[in-house]
Amino acid sequence: MAVAVSERSAPAARPAPRARRQRGGRAARNVGIAVALFFALAPIYWMLSTSFKPELEATQSDPSLLPNEYTMGNYQSLFNGAMPFGSFVVNSVITAAAAALISLVLSAFGGYALSKGNFRLREPMSFLILLTRMLPLVVLLGPLYLLLLNANLINTMLGLIIGYISFAVPFGVWLMKGFFDGVPKEVIEAARVDGYPRWQILLRVALPLTIPGLLTTATFIFIDVWNNIIYPLALINTIENQVLPSGLMLSFTGQFKTNWGGMMAASVLTSIPLLIAFFAIQRSMVRGLTAGAVAGE
Amino acid sequence: MILPALIAIGVVIGYPIVRAIQLSTTEFNPLAGADPTPVGTANFEQLVDDPIFWEALRNTAIYTFGSVAIAAIIGAMVALLVENLSGRARVVKTLLLTPWAVPFVVVAFLFRYMFDAQSGVINALLMDLNITDQPVDWLVSSTWALPTVVAANVWAQTPFFVLVFGAALAAVPNEVIESARVDSTRGLAMARHIKLPYMRNAALIASLLMVVANFNDFGKIWAMTEGGPGYATTTLVVWVYRLAFTSFELGYASAVGVIWLVLLLLFAIAYARMLRRGS
Repeated sequence: MAVAVSERSAPAARPAPRARRQRGGRAARNVGIAVALFFALAPIYWMLSTSFKPELEATQSDPSLLPNEYTMGNYQSLFNGAMPFGSFVVNSVITAAAAALISLVLSAFGGYALSKGNFRLREPMSFLILLTRMLPLVVLLGPLYLLLLNANLINTMLGLIIGYISFAVPFGVWLMKGFFDGVPKEVIEAARVDGYPRWQILLRVALPLTIPGLLTTATFIFIDVWNNIIYPLALINTIENQVLPSGLMLSFTGQFKTNWGGMMAASVLTSIPLLIAFFAIQRSMVRGLTAGAVAGE
Repeated sequence: MILPALIAIGVVIGYPIVRAIQLSTTEFNPLAGADPTPVGTANFEQLVDDPIFWEALRNTAIYTFGSVAIAAIIGAMVALLVENLSGRARVVKTLLLTPWAVPFVVVAFLFRYMFDAQSGVINALLMDLNITDQPVDWLVSSTWALPTVVAANVWAQTPFFVLVFGAALAAVPNEVIESARVDSTRGLAMARHIKLPYMRNAALIASLLMVVANFNDFGKIWAMTEGGPGYATTTLVVWVYRLAFTSFELGYASAVGVIWLVLLLLFAIAYARMLRRGS
């Protein structure tokens, strides 16, 4: 609001040549922004539009900008068609939420130790954790597969959650370390002088100060897991037990290869949780930054 | 207190790395039921003579560095364009970030559809504009498949660079901008001589993150082409997956993985050097 007002109250009398030059520059800038917006949003518009088109219209070689005939059929047949889309959703939600929650607890402990702990291997250990973030998951996948095979956990949700945790924990520890770094040492020291035991300092003092960090970390992990396709493809071997990305990939590569309307409807539904998570994290990231700034004073 | 996390990481990462190195010196098909047979360095010798290895290496380089270079350049331009948007116009910035929030499998589906030879909107546009008179077989052509996959990746990744460059631009000290303005530096000259140098470090760090992400990217490529046609879009990650989980040559797959670990480590060291020299 305030900004809009100040824009309107920009000086009315400007020196003419500079105004013209500025106006020219501004026009060029606006064209550039329009082009950028077009490229960013056109595919998303296309997905939405196609998801409401009947099958014939979606496959025609001369595509229509808006559906000539609107249909909800693509969405309906996801839930009562041949593809177990409902199971994909349920499996995705359960495994992603469980993996995010377990990883968050482990990451909070690990991140706190790396940030505030007093032990000799703290620095090299931090670097090691960062390095695991760069590891190619696929190299770890073969041995992990054998491990889960021996434990009879192939094709189970638990096995998949363990797989997810393997890449989520190093990432989470690293993020939480950063958030705990923002908690001033003096606060921890004061609690220690007051005679709190270590785990109580973490639970009662440090964690409440990093709630935005916890939320951000959990959301980051959730997004990472929701996106992952290689673990479910390798660790799950029946279609009903698949999660969204892998299940959709298998379905729309095989049986439903050219069912574009259905593919786009499924895409819309798969994107929604991630879009929500993304916008949620945007706000909490800002809050996390301001909290850090206030604490730093 | 770090023990729970360390144990978790040790079991699910430490063990697999050790096991992968060990498996790389064996021949092992987990479906055959037999135990791994030690073969020494045979896997690595086979690797050097394997044309697919070199093709995968080439594809990985093109996919990784091609995407990052293009996305970083577009991202820098967009960040400069939207830098001074304020008030309600700021919604534009958020809208420009949306591709980042789209799940990888959806990115793959979107580009599979848009670049479909028969029903794709790209071919329809190209033919309407008389750029080509017959449909291009984007994803089933061994020439065009890799560029198409790169295009999808650039679309998904550019917002990250916009965000990072935006933050870097916001950190340029006001005094610097002001004194440049007093010297009547404006527009493109301002962007090139004053702002770009400030974006250098952000560019290095952001591209390191994305290089690693692309190096390890599996979802987009697999959901678009499964590494095909032939091996045209098979990067190292896709190849290891194909070896381990479609032809079940776990020993050979692990050997590729070990080579890859070494490459990644070399890259990380080179990069750390570059970063230190920069600052």
